Amino acid sequence: MDYLVVFLVLVVFLQTRVTDLKRAVICLASQSVIIAIACFVIGFSHGNDIHAVMPGVLTLIVKVIFIPGAVYRLVNKLKNEREIVSASNVNYSTMAAALFLVMGYALVERLMPGSVGRDIVAASILMIMTGLSLMVLRKRAIIQICGLITLENGIYLLGLLMTEGLPLVVELGVFLDVLIAVVVLVILTSRMRLSFMTTDTSVMKKLKG
Amino acid sequence: MNLDIRELIYIILALPLVFSAISAANFLGRNVLHWLNRLVATGVGAAIVMLLMTFDANIPFAGQYIYLDALSMWMLMIIGTLYFAFAWTSKAYLDRDTNKRYGYLRRFGYLEGRFYALSHIFVWIMFLVVLVNNLGLMWVTIEATTLVSALLVAFKFTRTSLEATWKYVMVCTVGICLALLGTIIVYYIQLTTMGSDSPLNWLYMVEHSKNIDPVMAKFAFCFLFVGYGTKIGLAPMHAWLPDAHSEAPALTSGLLSGSLCICAIYVLIRNIVILMPSIGIDFISGLCLFFGIFTIAVAVPFVVVQRDIKRMLAYSSMENFGLMVAGLGLFVPIAAQAMLLHMFNHALVKYSLFYTAGTIMEEYGTKNMMRIHGMMVQVPRTACFLLLSIVAILGMPPFGVFFSKFYMIYGFFTAEHPWLGVITLILLAGMLIGILYHILRMMGGQSKKKSSGELFGVIDSLTIAGLLIFSGIASAGLSEITVLNRLLEAAAKIVLGGVA
Repeated sequence: MDYLVVFLVLVVFLQTRVTDLKRAVICLASQSVIIAIACFVIGFSHGNDIHAVMPGVLTLIVKVIFIPGAVYRLVNKLKNEREIVSASNVNYSTMAAALFLVMGYALVERLMPGSVGRDIVAASILMIMTGLSLMVLRKRAIIQICGLITLENGIYLLGLLMTEGLPLVVELGVFLDVLIAVVVLVILTSRMRLSFMTTDTSVMKKLKG
Repeated sequence: MNLDIRELIYIILALPLVFSAISAANFLGRNVLHWLNRLVATGVGAAIVMLLMTFDANIPFAGQYIYLDALSMWMLMIIGTLYFAFAWTSKAYLDRDTNKRYGYLRRFGYLEGRFYALSHIFVWIMFLVVLVNNLGLMWVTIEATTLVSALLVAFKFTRTSLEATWKYVMVCTVGICLALLGTIIVYYIQLTTMGSDSPLNWLYMVEHSKNIDPVMAKFAFCFLFVGYGTKIGLAPMHAWLPDAHSEAPALTSGLLSGSLCICAIYVLIRNIVILMPSIGIDFISGLCLFFGIFTIAVAVPFVVVQRDIKRMLAYSSMENFGLMVAGLGLFVPIAAQAMLLHMFNHALVKYSLFYTAGTIMEEYGTKNMMRIHGMMVQVPRTACFLLLSIVAILGMPPFGVFFSKFYMIYGFFTAEHPWLGVITLILLAGMLIGILYHILRMMGGQSKKKSSGELFGVIDSLTIAGLLIFSGIASAGLSEITVLNRLLEAAAKIVLGGVA
């Protein structure tokens, strides 16, 4: 479990560094792989029934194969889509992530000192906050989608640790929702490419007041 | 025909789903599609009326996944009324959209089927929100409404609608994710204090909610409030609301404003009922009152400087949601009843307003209120409906909103928050001045821009008039209509924490 957390933190930091969209998607997929493994580890430590396997399998199918696949297909259609911003934005998000990691550990120490899942809680706080900062600081639609999934993964990991997964029906619903959300966002992004000739969301600033 | 509650609920849930499958398949002719749409909505409306008649407000119905009590029945009634109005105004709206200046659908005949499919699915999911018995499933359905309505908001895929939708999906999904975190914490509370029986079941949790840990409960409540508050459109998280409401097709704006946001309030209420005994009323009440009144205060200046008619209506919706949340935070019976009544009145009146605004956009080919003048002469029927609905939404006497707003203000004074009542009154007066200024400018004067003539037909005029009259009669004669009165009292009791 400790190794998983280390890898997870590493991947999240990588996520804030990459500007190439394909690599960002691959980062996202590997992050989800780690979450899936965590699902299996936590699931099998509590029992061997269907509920132990289900979250892991669903994570594998939905978040490792389907979502990155869909986004990757979209990225393939975009030409010349490197994130053309100054490096400062990237540096800001990495620095923010570092701050969030410290903040996560400080929060955990304050709220539940000496608990077992300390590292996992800190990592999930890191993921939630980093996901948010990716959505706010970065301008590319694809990176923002990655941020959204990172945020969702973080909340999911926290839930997994706290409650060993939600009830089965709810779990299925949550996965369905994430799936539809990504489908909707992919549709919107490809429309954006047609209308604006770019997927940079900073061109959309007409609606104000 | 004698159908019991279970069968009626099945009918309500089956019909829209079947219809949206049919219209998505898109093999029916346009006229058949329009009539089938009306037939389905009327059928669902009839089923809801029958349900209202057979259902005893004090005896909730509980199935395996379905739970129906007075509160959900009340919400079902609101959504059902809007659904009915949607079906009877949609043909006029879509026809107009196929031949006038904004005509977008003309080029794509097949889009009508898709529009119907998405709208009916959207309403169907809102029915699910108020019928499921499980907090987790409520979260799932609320998130699903965001996603389906996002496709509706972006339906025309213009540049501005894409921008609005992107903002809508991003902001609401983040907010709703926070609500998921809150729901997870609630589940954690349940696991630690009540064991793992019937996970997240609302009824079970209410019965066992006495001894939960107040610190954890507060923690959960903050996440839930921020999360669902985003979806309601409370002030610091409201960025998506005016954009989405103004860029969506007029019918969708009506549904969004009238029923979607109050569905989020409904889910928030369900969560509050569980957490209230351990947190205590003061904390919840403080948050609700502050953010409710703050929302009204934020909306007022934007209304005054507004140029876009649908954005102005969106800010007026924000004002009303703020008022509802503040009314929820008062925790006195009269305010709870007024809040529920206000949901009903606001939904009906705001639907007719958005529909009328959509008509004006077609008539003048613009959304800019500064370029519209002389409506009284050029388009008398539209002008009449616009004026009546505006007067209604501002809370003037013959209409329903007057009663609900009046009871709400009365609630402020009985709940010993007289100063908040005064502040709210001042803000509402500002709202009234701002909106009336714009609308009266549009009514009179010499028009520089010529309208394309009256577009209000017979059926849609009747529907809109029916909505206004229904809201007025139902609220004015509430104490005479026994069914509604008992339902409202029972629902308010649930809001205040007693299970029916």
